[in-house]
Amino acid sequence: MLGEFEYLLITAAAGLGEDAYGAAIREEIEAATGRKCSIGALYTTIDRLETKGLLKTWMGDATPQRGGRAKRMVRVTPKGVLAAKAFYDVVTRVSRGASWVANRRGSAS
Amino acid sequence: MTSTGWSFVETAARLLARDEREAVLGDLVEGNENAWQGLLGVLGLVFRGEAILWKSWRPWLAGFVVALPSSFLLMGFSLSVSWSYLTIRCPELLQKSSLTLGSGSLVLLCQALLLIGWSWTGGFVVGSLSRRTLWASTLLCFSPCLFCLSRFRVESLSRFCLFLFLVPAIWGLRRGLRIARMKLSWAIALAIAITALMVPGWSSGAHHWWAPPRWTLDWALCWPAWYLVATARRASSKAGLGGSDGLWSGQREQQTGMS
Repeated sequence: MLGEFEYLLITAAAGLGEDAYGAAIREEIEAATGRKCSIGALYTTIDRLETKGLLKTWMGDATPQRGGRAKRMVRVTPKGVLAAKAFYDVVTRVSRGASWVANRRGSAS
Repeated sequence: MTSTGWSFVETAARLLARDEREAVLGDLVEGNENAWQGLLGVLGLVFRGEAILWKSWRPWLAGFVVALPSSFLLMGFSLSVSWSYLTIRCPELLQKSSLTLGSGSLVLLCQALLLIGWSWTGGFVVGSLSRRTLWASTLLCFSPCLFCLSRFRVESLSRFCLFLFLVPAIWGLRRGLRIARMKLSWAIALAIAITALMVPGWSSGAHHWWAPPRWTLDWALCWPAWYLVATARRASSKAGLGGSDGLWSGQREQQTGMS
């Protein structure tokens, strides 16, 4: 099963679609979690997920706002989608009945 | 980001692979990170990358089981070879050693071949096991070299005699880096040849009570040759009976990035 950060990364990349690359994914994760995401954690996790076949990466075009440096583009593979869905299902299942879940089963309100 | 700070970050980023460096430096520029944050980010990535490599047993085996002890033992054996050479060149020493010129030359030949075999196979194993952690294996090999060099006090021999093993070891290392493993038949032939060359030394020569038996030291240097046999055998059994079609069976896999 995926780890928490792996799930965040895959979900952010999936949400960004064709525009998913290192800096954009990092920004998405930081915005969603409100926590700093280090470049080390990001690229190490991208490498690990690519090795597992859950992501595919390739070098994109260089842009002036990046000082002429190329982007490392990211795409979630079908296997990555399945892994993220499995993680989401587990979190959803285990969360049923938890007090902080709005529409929890058996909730009085 | 200041140009000075940026130059530090760029220098640190040289430790990354080319594509990764490009992407990371671009991300830092795009994110308007300051030099300190950028430097920490790059160094953090380098550190994490190294830490992941060291989670495997391979760099530990290459560095602490092969490179470090073998360099100590091979330096000793390099001196032994140099001493044998000196003996056959000097009639007085030859007379003292109760050897004839012919038998002395034969001993020297066997020792030289053994030194080449041990060093080459050790270098090959280090190269094939620790491509990305080669810096650590090199450091572990050279630290005993520097230690011994600083304490070398034999007047009749040059200090460089300590490092005779380095040439075949570097040759083996380069082969190990380029290819994954040897063809099984060649690996077996090499291991048998090295083992056969070891045998005459077990029965000859003075032995101190405090020193470990000669054969234990020999096996400590010989096992990389048999390790090559084991890896070649495992690879050929995985590949099926077809085996490989060259001396260096891992070459093709490595070229395609499989190993």
